Amino acid sequence: MLSKNTHTGIIVALLLLIFAASPAEPQSSALSDEAQKCLSCHSQHGLVKTFENRDTLEAYVDSEKFKASAHGSLKCSDCHVDFAGEKHPQRRFRSKEQYKTKSAMTCRKCHRCEQIKTKSIHSRLLSEEDSGISHLCTNCHGSHSIKPVSRKTFKNEEQYCLKCHGHKLNMGFKSGENLSLKIDLSLLQNSVHKRLSCSDCHFGFSNSQHPQRNFKGMRDLSIANSETCRRCHFDKYTKTMESIHYTMLSQGNLNAPVCTDCHGSHSILHFGKERTIIAQRCRKCHTGIFEVYSESVHGKALFDEHNQDVPVCIDCHTAHDIKNPLTLDYREKIPDMCSNCHANEAVVRKYGLSTDVVKTYLSDFHGVTLSFYRKQREEFNKPARQIAVCTDCHGTHNIVSTRSTDPATVKTNLARRCQQCHKDAAKNFPDTWLSHYEPTLANAPLVFIVTMIYKIFTPVMVIGIILQILLHIWRYAVNR
Amino acid sequence: MADHKIKRFSTYRIAEHWVHMAIFIVLVVTGLSQKFYYLDISLWLIFHLGGIDYVRLIHRYTGIIFLIAISMHVITGIAGIAFRRWKPTMVINKKDFIDAVYNIKYYLGMEDHPAICDRYSYRQKFEYWGVLIGSIIMVFSGLILWFPVFVTRFLPGEVIPAAKVLHTNQALLIFVIIALWHIYNSIFSPEIFPIDKSIFTGSISRDRMLREHPVELARMEGRPIDEMQ
Repeated sequence: MLSKNTHTGIIVALLLLIFAASPAEPQSSALSDEAQKCLSCHSQHGLVKTFENRDTLEAYVDSEKFKASAHGSLKCSDCHVDFAGEKHPQRRFRSKEQYKTKSAMTCRKCHRCEQIKTKSIHSRLLSEEDSGISHLCTNCHGSHSIKPVSRKTFKNEEQYCLKCHGHKLNMGFKSGENLSLKIDLSLLQNSVHKRLSCSDCHFGFSNSQHPQRNFKGMRDLSIANSETCRRCHFDKYTKTMESIHYTMLSQGNLNAPVCTDCHGSHSILHFGKERTIIAQRCRKCHTGIFEVYSESVHGKALFDEHNQDVPVCIDCHTAHDIKNPLTLDYREKIPDMCSNCHANEAVVRKYGLSTDVVKTYLSDFHGVTLSFYRKQREEFNKPARQIAVCTDCHGTHNIVSTRSTDPATVKTNLARRCQQCHKDAAKNFPDTWLSHYEPTLANAPLVFIVTMIYKIFTPVMVIGIILQILLHIWRYAVNR
Repeated sequence: MADHKIKRFSTYRIAEHWVHMAIFIVLVVTGLSQKFYYLDISLWLIFHLGGIDYVRLIHRYTGIIFLIAISMHVITGIAGIAFRRWKPTMVINKKDFIDAVYNIKYYLGMEDHPAICDRYSYRQKFEYWGVLIGSIIMVFSGLILWFPVFVTRFLPGEVIPAAKVLHTNQALLIFVIIALWHIYNSIFSPEIFPIDKSIFTGSISRDRMLREHPVELARMEGRPIDEMQ
C-alpha cells in the first residue's frame, strides 16, 4: 500500500511532465539565422528583378507570412539553391514564366513525384506534364506563404478550391477537347448561389476528395454536371423530364440543352429581372427564330424599348416543360397563351389594345370548334382536325402590329391565309370575319341591324305570347 | 250529334306533321346545343352525339331534309290552290286582324263570346306564317353558313356574320313560338288538355268545331252562321 504522500508525489510529477512536454511557443517563430539575414533586405519593398523581356518581379517576402508558413523553419537556400550566405549570384532569365518554372522545380527535391502522385489531382497534373503541359506547384500552393494543405488552412471551401481553380487549369478529354477549369471568383460572388460551397454542387469533391473522372468529351461533362441541380431543384428537374429537350437528350442528342446551358454554371443569375437574357439564352441554339422574333412587334418592344410586358420565349413555350410546338396539343393551347396578356386589361390597356380579341375569337366559329375539339380530346381522346388559332392569322415569332401595316395589305395577307384552309376563298373572304370587333352600325351595319331587330322582336314576341296565354287562361277560369 | 267526328286533316297532312315534328326536334337539339355551346347540357348532348363534327353533320343534313319538306309543303300548297283542290284558307285577310282585336276584347270581358273563326283561327294563321317564313329564313341562312366560300364569291363578306346572327336569332324565335305558343295551344290549353289529337287522328269533334271553327262548320252543314249550335 502506498501512503497518501506518495500519491501526491506521483500526481505532481505527472503534472510537471505534462508542462515540460508542451512547448512554450509555437514552433513557427523560429526563423533560421540565414532567413533573418536575407529578410533584412528582402522584407522591404523596392527590390525589383527585371527580366530580359522587361517583365518585372518584386523580390519582396512578407516575413510574417513566411514565418507562419509550413516552410517557416527552412533556410532560404534550401529552396533558392543558388544562394547561400554571402553567395548572391546575378542570374538572367528570359521571362517571369521561365523564372517561375525554374524556381518551382525545386519543390520536387523534397516532394518526390511518387509521393505526391498519391493524390489524384496531382497524378492527373503530372500525367499532363508528359504531354508538355507544365503545372507549377507554386501556382496552387504559393511560394513563401506556403501552408500545409488541411481544413484549417482556408476560411472556406471556396478558398480551398480556388487555390488551384483560380489559376489557369485545364481539363483534357479523350475527344481532344480542352476545358478551362479556371473559375472567376467575381462571377461566383455575383451568382445566386454565392452562399453555396463548391461541393454542394460538385458532389463527391471535398477538401479530402478529388475523384478522377473520365469523360469522352466536354459535352458529357456538362450533362453529367447538370444532374447535380436536381438535388435542390427537383420540381424543375421533373418538369424538364416532360420537355422536348429531355426527349431529344434521351434519344441520344447530346446537343439538347441541360440546366447549365440556359442558366449557366458558376454565374447563375435570377432571370426574372432581365427578360432579354432569356431570349438571348434560347438564341444560342434557335438563332433563326430569334432573328425573326427580334423583328416582331414583341421582340422590337423588348429590345428597343426594354418593354418588360412583352412575351419572351418562355412565356409561350414555358421554361422547363417545353413541349413540341408542332403537336395538336400545343396548338390548341395557343389561344390560352395569347389571352394571358391579350385578355388581361392591366397588361394591354396601356397600349390601346382591346381585350375583346380573345372573346370574339372564342365565340366565333373557329373558337367554338377549337374548344370542342380540345374538350373532346381531353375527355374522349377523340382525334381532331387543325383549326385556325391566333397564330394562323397573326403569325408566331413574326407577329407584327396590324396598325403599322396598311389595311389593304393586311386584307391581302389574310385572304392568302384563309385560302390555306378555305381553298377557293375569294379576295373578299376575310370580310366574313369581323376582325375581332363587336359589330357596330359603322363597321358591320348588316350584322348590327339584324342583331338589333331580334333584340327587340324576340322579347316582344315572348311577352306577347305569354300575355295571350295568361289572358286565355284567365278568361277560361272566369267563364267556369 | 255531340260526339260526332268531323274529318279535318288528310293522311298527307298527318304524315307531314310527323315529319316536320321529327325534323324540328333534331334541328333544335343539334342546333341549340351549338348556340348555347357553353352550357353543360350542350356539352353533354354534343359529346353523346359523337362530337361537334357529327352534330354539325346531322344538323346540316337534317337541314337538307327540312329544305325538301318545306319546298314540298309550299309547292303542294300552291298547287292545291291552283288546281282548286282546296281553298286558300291559310291566307291572312282583314277579318283576322278584326278577330284578333275582338278576341282580346273578349278575354278582357268587353265582348261576350270569342271571335267567330273559319277553318283556321287568326292565332293559327299567324303561327303558321311566322313559322313558315322563319323556316325559309333558317334554310337560306343555314345554306349561306354551310357554303361561305361559295356565297362570298357573289355577295359581300359581311353576309356571312349577318347570316349567322340571323340563323341563330331566328332559331331561338321559332323555338320560342313552338315551345310556348304551339305547345300551349295543342297541349296545355285548358280547352283541349291533355292533348289536341286532331293532327294525329285527322278528325275533330263537332263540339270543338262549333267552338273553334263555327264558320267552317256552318259551311259544311249548309246552315247560316247565326243558327249554329
